[in-house]
Amino acid sequence: MPSRGTGAEPHAADLVLVRRVVDGDETALATLYDRYAGVVYSVVLRILRDPGAAEEILQDIFYQLWRNASNFDPARGTLPGWLLVSARNRAIDRLRRRNPDTTELAEQSVALPFNLEAAIAQNQLMSRVKAALAKLPPAQREALELAYFQGLTHSEIAQRTGEPLGTVKTRLRAAVQWLRRELNP
Amino acid sequence: MNGHPQLNEDFDLYALGALEGEEKQALEVHLRSCTDCRRKVEEARGRVALLALAAPPEVPPRQIRDRLLRQIHAKPVEQPPPPLAAFRRWPRPAFALLLATILLAIATALLVFQNGRLSRRVSELQAAALQQQEETERARSVLEVLTAPDTLQVTLVSGAAQPLPLGKTFYNSRKGLLFYAANLPALPPDQTYQLWLVPAEGNPVSAGIFTADPKGDGAVLLPVLPPGVAAKAFAVTVEPAGGVTQPTGPKVLIGVVS
Repeated sequence: MPSRGTGAEPHAADLVLVRRVVDGDETALATLYDRYAGVVYSVVLRILRDPGAAEEILQDIFYQLWRNASNFDPARGTLPGWLLVSARNRAIDRLRRRNPDTTELAEQSVALPFNLEAAIAQNQLMSRVKAALAKLPPAQREALELAYFQGLTHSEIAQRTGEPLGTVKTRLRAAVQWLRRELNP
Repeated sequence: MNGHPQLNEDFDLYALGALEGEEKQALEVHLRSCTDCRRKVEEARGRVALLALAAPPEVPPRQIRDRLLRQIHAKPVEQPPPPLAAFRRWPRPAFALLLATILLAIATALLVFQNGRLSRRVSELQAAALQQQEETERARSVLEVLTAPDTLQVTLVSGAAQPLPLGKTFYNSRKGLLFYAANLPALPPDQTYQLWLVPAEGNPVSAGIFTADPKGDGAVLLPVLPPGVAAKAFAVTVEPAGGVTQPTGPKVLIGVVS
């Protein structure tokens, strides 16, 4: 049953593919890679700005999926959610020279407000997220980007931008409130 | 306080990694015992994860895919080992001992796992019980104020010389009815006040009879009513002592459900 092929099947659902990965189906992993490698690579590269390091993390994340697919409980978090959270965590750890987070695959459960499987395929969500960020006041957007893409805490953002801690907290809270409104299904 | 975060954005700030120090610790301690908030963190993580899509789209070099596929081909998915055939060659007592050790190890692992699950469950239940107790206590306090004989009842009216009769109903079709009236004139002994629930459909339903005390106050608390009746209005009429099945006397109070 395990197949050595590398052809991709664009129409199989993530859930089905993950089950086939558990059974050792290499084609299924290749299909998942084709589906999500782009978004994973993009966010890691945006964080690290180092293609070599980004490629390494990209390969490793999918390798982890291959090795641990049986720990992955689709009911607790969708695959793209898990991939995006892991990609960011790994990249931030590398950026900040921290030891990789050893949290178990299943513990970082993620509940996505959208069906990313479909949305990523159609690019529609990308423009929605970008539009939501574009509408933020520049200072709020900067705080949000420093938190997400640099992994900075409130006080680290304050240090980086030279703004008072209270100001940073207010800005980030407002930015997050905005996201909650804009990114509701 | 070890309660739920006051603001929903706290979950997003936590998922983002912006919280630190005491704020972060307090939330993490709370999450251990609150499934509801853990679910909110999962949702926040999902929302925050969408920010990844704001990164400029890049295409990974083709050779990464090839490297990955070579890597996984060399290292197949871990399958559960097919063990027992190998043990047949072992001498019997050694095999029995080994088997017993394995079983014991499995049993221990299961117990440890079970124990962990149970302690988590216990702390969840404790938190839930505590919350329920608080709610019950609050409900009891509200009720005590309403029903205690020494509770002061002061009715506020506009500065008119003669206060007008008035009533207030708290009605919940599942839980019951509370009714208070004030400024009612005293009735002769052969008459009584009767409270009526006027349903959205059908005839008025008696919600009990009551008298006004010398100050003009009266009350009906939790009368027996058919369950689940949707109310259109409430009314108080003056009826012969003992009450009647359908209103006959003059309406002294009426309140329409808005």
